Amino acid sequence: MPPMHWTDAIVESLKSHDVWLIPYVPDAITWQVLSKLEQDPAFHTVPVAREEEAIAVAAGAYAAGKRAAVFVQSSGFGNTINSLAQLSQAHKIPVPTFVGMRGGLGEFNPVQIPSAHPIPGFLDAMNIPHYAPMVEDDVTSYVDGALELSFASRMPVAVLLYSQLVGAKRATS
Amino acid sequence: MLRPDGIRALLDRVTDEPIIANLGSATFDLYHAQQRDANFYTWGAMGMVSSIGLGVALAAPEKKVYVIDGDGSLLMNLGSLGTIARQNPKNLVHIVMDNQQWAETGGQPTHTSTGTDLAEIARASGIAHVIRVASLEDFEDALDHAVNEDGPWCIVADIEEHGHGARPPVSVEENLLRFRRTFTD
Repeated sequence: MPPMHWTDAIVESLKSHDVWLIPYVPDAITWQVLSKLEQDPAFHTVPVAREEEAIAVAAGAYAAGKRAAVFVQSSGFGNTINSLAQLSQAHKIPVPTFVGMRGGLGEFNPVQIPSAHPIPGFLDAMNIPHYAPMVEDDVTSYVDGALELSFASRMPVAVLLYSQLVGAKRATS
Repeated sequence: MLRPDGIRALLDRVTDEPIIANLGSATFDLYHAQQRDANFYTWGAMGMVSSIGLGVALAAPEKKVYVIDGDGSLLMNLGSLGTIARQNPKNLVHIVMDNQQWAETGGQPTHTSTGTDLAEIARASGIAHVIRVASLEDFEDALDHAVNEDGPWCIVADIEEHGHGARPPVSVEENLLRFRRTFTD
């Protein structure tokens, strides 16, 4: 049996972990998932103006007894750091964060590269686990595992979505 | 109007509703006014308290949710006002204690001291109910509306800064878990 499309695999993993609130800043990569979440009554999506808001909205939902996951693009990931550190890590609030990774194979915009490449290093320096499924066969196990890790230990965990999995954005698209 | 008086006025009007307090003086003054499990004290992530409150309000639509913000903090997260307006949570009451300064770092004047009007920004962002007050009496009157009528509300209160009480001995993790249990138990 062929694996589920990576977007469906993420949707199903979020459902199986009772994730409900989805704060996000959209991008072409994560929108492939977000557009499905927006149509699915199991989720409440919250477009925000800036990435750190997304972390804080997710933290608030968890503080009130619900589960949330955040979607952002690599170019704005840096905006999440203060909230990840001083809310999610300091208060031990689980915030699974999906990052649409630009700056890799097929990248047409040179400014995406210096913001995306340091992200694994930022995450390592912050002691935030991060995982990057590169093929559809791995998406369910990686995302299930990341969500379990985040909620069981009440910590932020990042899932990095690279072009090897999601396809490169085209300059003309 | 002084911040501790405003906080006491709020506490007089709630029972077990959640209150999320901004880092520094709002957290300190709320703790000293009344320790409650439904108080969520923040210590960092400056500017995020309105976003945290939005997350709480969306997750718990059956409860009125109160946020005590500050002018320096809200200036860091003005986009939050548009995000709140777009979600339009009827149960969110966003109180901004505007002392026109970054009080925790030495009292440097913020932009509200030179004319930036956070109530006008909230209104222009699309928040349904925005009130700006300068006296305790007017603040209490605004609170009476916000407590009893659908929001979202944004109450911007001009306050005089007279300092705050000592740093309270709160475990941030324990505070989160106690706060969360007020929703899940």
